[in-house]
Amino acid sequence: MWQLEPAWQADVLARAWRAAQPFPHLVVDDFASARDLEDLLAILDEEPVERYEGDIFAFDATAPEPTTSDLRAVREQFARVLAPALTQVTGKPVARADMRAYAYRPGHYLLPHSDHQEGLARVLAYAYYLPSPEPPVGGELELYCCEHDGSAITSVAGACLIEPRPNRLVVFDVSDVSLHQVREVLDGLRLSLAGWFYPAEPAAEQPR
Amino acid sequence: MSSIEALFGSRTAEILAAAVTPVLAAEVRARCERTGYTRYGLLDRGSYEVIADPDEPELLAALANLAGERIDRTLELTGARVLRLQPGDYLLAHHDQIHVDLPIEVVLDLSPAIVPGAEVHYRRRGQVFFRVPSTPCSLAIVERGPTVSCNHTYVSKLHAGASVVRLIALFRG
Repeated sequence: MWQLEPAWQADVLARAWRAAQPFPHLVVDDFASARDLEDLLAILDEEPVERYEGDIFAFDATAPEPTTSDLRAVREQFARVLAPALTQVTGKPVARADMRAYAYRPGHYLLPHSDHQEGLARVLAYAYYLPSPEPPVGGELELYCCEHDGSAITSVAGACLIEPRPNRLVVFDVSDVSLHQVREVLDGLRLSLAGWFYPAEPAAEQPR
Repeated sequence: MSSIEALFGSRTAEILAAAVTPVLAAEVRARCERTGYTRYGLLDRGSYEVIADPDEPELLAALANLAGERIDRTLELTGARVLRLQPGDYLLAHHDQIHVDLPIEVVLDLSPAIVPGAEVHYRRRGQVFFRVPSTPCSLAIVERGPTVSCNHTYVSKLHAGASVVRLIALFRG
């Protein structure tokens, strides 16, 4: 699962990453093979989802840590294959990733936020859109252009809309100004895997 | 009326149904419309329209009396605003002002109709302890404090034409 070829062309993607507006991001279509996608959907069928709700979000999702060994294996292989490739493309060293599956139904949303939080070490965010039995209306990933004074955002304007097309991988930079949202789903079902890439765990300190 | 006093000692958090008449609510909405709202658009904090310091002295005095009677204190107005939220609007908890003392906040629902899911959530240390549902003409009375924050939930675009209007006033005394 998660073979990069032929969709992954590192030099093309690196240029796209650097040129992307309003902040660095990548959109890779036809990311997984049909067979891998079928296997992935079978694994996800076994993973329980719950409703999550906060002031900025409402959606159904799997638990932060997968309950099945199969989904944990999917996550580990995803990180093993993608982390070196993304390090090369983005110039940002990453080594591991987390992964949850999300189901946005009508009325579900994720309001504008940056993903950047002190102490969490998120370097890159990703979303991989899955085929849906009822393709969603809405649910686009919207990226914002921000002006800021220090870490405080002083103006915001929508700059880029990315449709949640099946088998599309989106990766974007995490920073104070990587403001984005998932627009409310108005109909249908938006299915995705999403999470963040992190640097390597610091090596455990050796006794002297 | 709902109350959590039993759970949180003397902390006040209650809702009075039919605190004003629909006619009065409509009159206040019309005056606000004439005054004009200003849109707030820093989307990492909120998306809504606001009138700061609305010119509603009689209504605010009545609310001070009503809330004061409920908590057996004499209250003085220290600030007020009217918020209007339309489909797609919200106000996040980290945009809320934290109060180091224990003022009383009231939320008068001036909306023309119920908007499903449009609630005000009061949080203590991040956890919701009091939900104010969309109930036109109701008055919520909540004691604020250093650990209490508040957010106005997202108004779904599934409710086309919905309008949530809330008069929010802060009292001390």
